[in-house]
Amino acid sequence: MPLILNNVTPIHWAIAGAGIALVTLALLFIANRRLGISTGFEDVCSFVLPIGYFTRDAVRLARGWRMPFIVGLAVGGFLSAVLGGGWAPIWNLGIFDQVIGFGHAGKLAWMFVGGLFIGFGTRLADGCTSGHGIFGLSNFELPSLISTISFLAAGIVTTQFIYRVVFHL
Amino acid sequence: MALLYFALGTVFGFVLSRSGAADYNYIQAMFLFTSFQLYGIIGTAVLITAPGLWLIKRYGRTVSGRPVVVPLKPQHRGNIVGGILFGIGWSICGMCPGPIFVNIGEGKIYAVAALAGALAGAGLFGAIYTRIQSAFRLPRLAVGTGGAGSRS
Repeated sequence: MPLILNNVTPIHWAIAGAGIALVTLALLFIANRRLGISTGFEDVCSFVLPIGYFTRDAVRLARGWRMPFIVGLAVGGFLSAVLGGGWAPIWNLGIFDQVIGFGHAGKLAWMFVGGLFIGFGTRLADGCTSGHGIFGLSNFELPSLISTISFLAAGIVTTQFIYRVVFHL
Repeated sequence: MALLYFALGTVFGFVLSRSGAADYNYIQAMFLFTSFQLYGIIGTAVLITAPGLWLIKRYGRTVSGRPVVVPLKPQHRGNIVGGILFGIGWSICGMCPGPIFVNIGEGKIYAVAALAGALAGAGLFGAIYTRIQSAFRLPRLAVGTGGAGSRS
């Protein structure tokens, strides 16, 4: 199955997994940082929301590494597009377009609602696929195992409900 | 150092972009059990990170000789409830937090709406933290200079 991005053929999962592992280990070994991306939402919030939760030192002091890392993520996606056929604005959403088929406004609303779940859920769980799923599991941490099982199970149930029950794929 | 984080983020973003981890179809295919790709990626990443992490902790120092510090995440009811909420969002958007930023870089317009939602959700959590703290047994916030028991 080609990617939505420029119909590129994806790299092998073993190579991708090794790449993710190397970045994770480099972050710790070179910079003494524990990989974690969803905390970056707090970093961004801390620039505009002057409430106690976001003005803590734990948040403010981590901005110095997480913000450039997050900007790098976007640049990595940009380079991937440029080197893989060219960058252009994309509205294509794969099977969502074939099966659910909302227009632009509906798609934005759908994504905003999903984003609310991601933002609130990852903060409540204290991590996401990177901090819990990759780093926490690799470090044999029980809260990470509990969280990872929870979000994988919820993702499976939700997608099965959307694509097998409500809309028939 | 900022340049190092930027470079590592760029490599990470490129890998997520080209592997399917930032692709709506591949995320749904993982949850529909029609593709092994994402399970292979996460599984391989953990299989390689785990022994690497063990070695770094055993060595005990970073490249520049500083003691390695691995901050641990607290265990509470939010691990399950927050995990479930995040899983629902992961399915709806076809993105987890890293890929939201990757998708924006790729030019996917709708990812900007996902980021706006995620920031609003995180903002809401921060705003009501003290009110849901006891229900989820969340740690006490260390406002200001941090210290013991701080939530990091």
